Amino acid sequence: MTVIIAVLQAVLLVALAPLVSGIARKIRARMHSRTGASVLQDYYDLAKLWHRCEVREGPSGLVSRAMPAVYLGTMALLAAGLPLIMQACPVPLLGDIITILYLMALPRFLFSLASIDSGAAYPSIGGIRELLVGVLVEPSLMLVLFVMALAVGSTNVGVMAEAVGALSAYPAVAVVVAGVACAMACYIEMGKLPFDLAEAEQEIQEGPLAAYSGPSLAMLKLGVSVKQLVVASLFVAIFLPFGAAASLAPADLLLGLVTYLVKLAAVLLVAAVIENSVMRVRYKLLGRYTWFVVGIASLSLVFLVIGI
Amino acid sequence: MTKKNAALRSGETHVQAVRDAFPGAVLDAAWQASDQVTITVPKDMLPDVVEFLYYGRGGWLPNMVANDERPLNGRYALYYLLSMEEADPGFVTVRTEIDPHSMEYPSVTPRVPACVWSEREAYDLFGLRAQGLPDERRLVLPDDWPSGLFPLRKDSMDYRRRPEPVTDVENYEFLYEGQAEEVTGVPMGPLHITSDEPGHFRLFVEGEEIVDADYRLFYVHRGMEKVAESRLNYDAVTFLADRICGICGNAHSVAYAEAVENAQGIEVPVRAQYIRTILLEVERLHSHLLNLGLVCHYCGFDTGFQHFFRVREKAMDLAVLLTGARKTYGLNLIGGVRRDILDEQKLATIAFVRELRSDVEALVDMLMSTANFESRTAGVGRLDPAIARDYSPVGPCVRGSGFARDVRFDHPFDGYRYLTGLKARSHDGCDVQSRTLVRVEEFMDSLTMIEQLLDGAPGGPIQATGWRYTPHKYALGYTEAPRGEDMHWAQVGDNQKCYRWRAKAATYSNWPILRYMFRGNTVADAAIIVGSMDPCYSCTDRVTVVDVKKKTETVLTKQQLESYCWRRTHSPLAGKGA
Repeated sequence: MTVIIAVLQAVLLVALAPLVSGIARKIRARMHSRTGASVLQDYYDLAKLWHRCEVREGPSGLVSRAMPAVYLGTMALLAAGLPLIMQACPVPLLGDIITILYLMALPRFLFSLASIDSGAAYPSIGGIRELLVGVLVEPSLMLVLFVMALAVGSTNVGVMAEAVGALSAYPAVAVVVAGVACAMACYIEMGKLPFDLAEAEQEIQEGPLAAYSGPSLAMLKLGVSVKQLVVASLFVAIFLPFGAAASLAPADLLLGLVTYLVKLAAVLLVAAVIENSVMRVRYKLLGRYTWFVVGIASLSLVFLVIGI
Repeated sequence: MTKKNAALRSGETHVQAVRDAFPGAVLDAAWQASDQVTITVPKDMLPDVVEFLYYGRGGWLPNMVANDERPLNGRYALYYLLSMEEADPGFVTVRTEIDPHSMEYPSVTPRVPACVWSEREAYDLFGLRAQGLPDERRLVLPDDWPSGLFPLRKDSMDYRRRPEPVTDVENYEFLYEGQAEEVTGVPMGPLHITSDEPGHFRLFVEGEEIVDADYRLFYVHRGMEKVAESRLNYDAVTFLADRICGICGNAHSVAYAEAVENAQGIEVPVRAQYIRTILLEVERLHSHLLNLGLVCHYCGFDTGFQHFFRVREKAMDLAVLLTGARKTYGLNLIGGVRRDILDEQKLATIAFVRELRSDVEALVDMLMSTANFESRTAGVGRLDPAIARDYSPVGPCVRGSGFARDVRFDHPFDGYRYLTGLKARSHDGCDVQSRTLVRVEEFMDSLTMIEQLLDGAPGGPIQATGWRYTPHKYALGYTEAPRGEDMHWAQVGDNQKCYRWRAKAATYSNWPILRYMFRGNTVADAAIIVGSMDPCYSCTDRVTVVDVKKKTETVLTKQQLESYCWRRTHSPLAGKGA
């Protein structure tokens, strides 16, 4: 039963991702005082790309070819494992924070490797930037997740969600501070402005994406959209589990689905507004922002140790 | 212009100073207009005299004009135009004649670096070789142009002739002047996402830091000067001059018209002078709004970009109101303008100006308070004042480095003579932020100017009539376009056509300093640095990113470029380079 929910979750997120990015585009257009394309535009784009021929870089090899599929696949797997609709993890094995962190590191590793494999100037720069973002943000995310693991006594995000949902996670202050740090780390991880360094269009011509075309580009674009949903969902799953189904009763599950969608929409709306009112951070100065996040994450550890 | 008696003509002190410093150097001194003097010097004295006037007398060098005067006096001539901006302001042109058998002259570039592009161009178009010129690469002509065919020589070719390409590959050599031994070449262009026109910039980078940069431009050189002297009559060239630029066409048109008017001694009616000035300022409004929008875009702040463009529409509407077209095109004729500003148009213009002022003030407040604006622009793309002094850049570029050079105030012309309470704007941060702030202030000043000019414009005719056409007279015409001074040098012939017309767009003076502005910044800043210059590619006439450490670079083939133009996807640059 829960396996079915897991599969449905993955399908739902992959199917919704283009709609969500379409809505984000619409919000952007509105903030620009433009009419903007239809919210379904990203579906059209993907369909069109799917029918296009694939052009590869001369020197590129197996890594470049396999990357888009692995990227999208990993994101779908992550989507399957998170406690989105119900409080417990549908597949406990996939809900372990160690698994989650490694599953997030895998596509990033391949993304950077593929960008260097492509043998092009701009993608390589993009690949290196992606690694830099990873090195600077992942420690904060790890720290936050370990603080939560210590606070609730389990490395399973389902257990964390249940504890937060019942407001029994202790110490409370440490959990709240961890939530703030997690929100910030997740925002950077989503790769939206001002932190879209790896794909910065005006600076490095969309970086690694520039090396892809046709179905591969479609998979990669879809993968990037799904990643934004997964990262936002990770935050929602752990720190805003309120309303998620506590049992497998159909009514509970339905309510859980509706509340999940509402929470996700709210988080993404906030992200969209931030995205459109800032300038891209200067590549050299990214460290200043991530140190701030590391600081807050460390603070949550301190609160955890002193127990408030 | 102003009443000055012959003994006290503008430029007299400079001529006397040259006579004193270099006895026997001045073979001839002739005034073309009250503020313009041309001195002829022997070609051996040329570098000394130009250097003396440039560094010793407060001169700046807009450009140098080469001319094939064999049909007139059997020789080629070079005209080094100097804008004197300290004591005794005016223009001093240093002329020298070159024997058609030697075709050589001593290069001034080692003494005054600002001459470099002009001297390279003089070889491309006339085959005049500057001895000692440090950079002898091709500038204006394309890579596949046959060597030995110099298009502007009077006896070289018909303007319709298209010579067979002599090569299929790009053979332009990009020069690397940095110290680091291992650099990677990153190609930016010939077509780049942030530039609206082709330009090939090659960035020599170490990681993301730019060590040096070189560029190849003139991909869209249109041979307008050749067309003007062979096909159009001198009066129609004002409309061709409009087409030099898609933004500041009127500035070129006015500059050309005034070059001919100065040479022929035509008095333009005062009302026409006011109308020209108002339209020059209207042009500045939409050009500066364009650049402020682009600054946002290059920083990844598309919200600001779209809003500046929304407000810019009002400036375009203003142009429609005054000229009948979204661009300020087709207004000028030799001797005046074609369209008057009527009373109801004056009232509507004042309403537009008020609306623009409040809209732009609000937008600028928003831009200044946007997160990261300061960190993206302050200290980025530094133009050292010493480099600026050597290369004579113009417009907000040089005014952002502490030099208040502005033709409107240094050599007031047309309606600018009647303005009160305004002065040239400058900031001394030397960075992208300073250049942006200069544009913001100038935008506000332009609004004030339009109001003052509308109030002060006298009645009367808008076209001069009844002048006498004298062949072979030449003079300078100048305007302050939004990107800096436009300088036109025109000489009419005995066939109602231009004998020689040299149009210098503002950006022509600014490109040579770009390599210095790139150094020490990152690849991420490259687009905003180019953008802060507000370059005009087709007016003057491509970026390669090279990794200094991997020593690789790529040259695109014509086929790759063409297929990219067709499909608009799969950028050929994406796969090349590092």
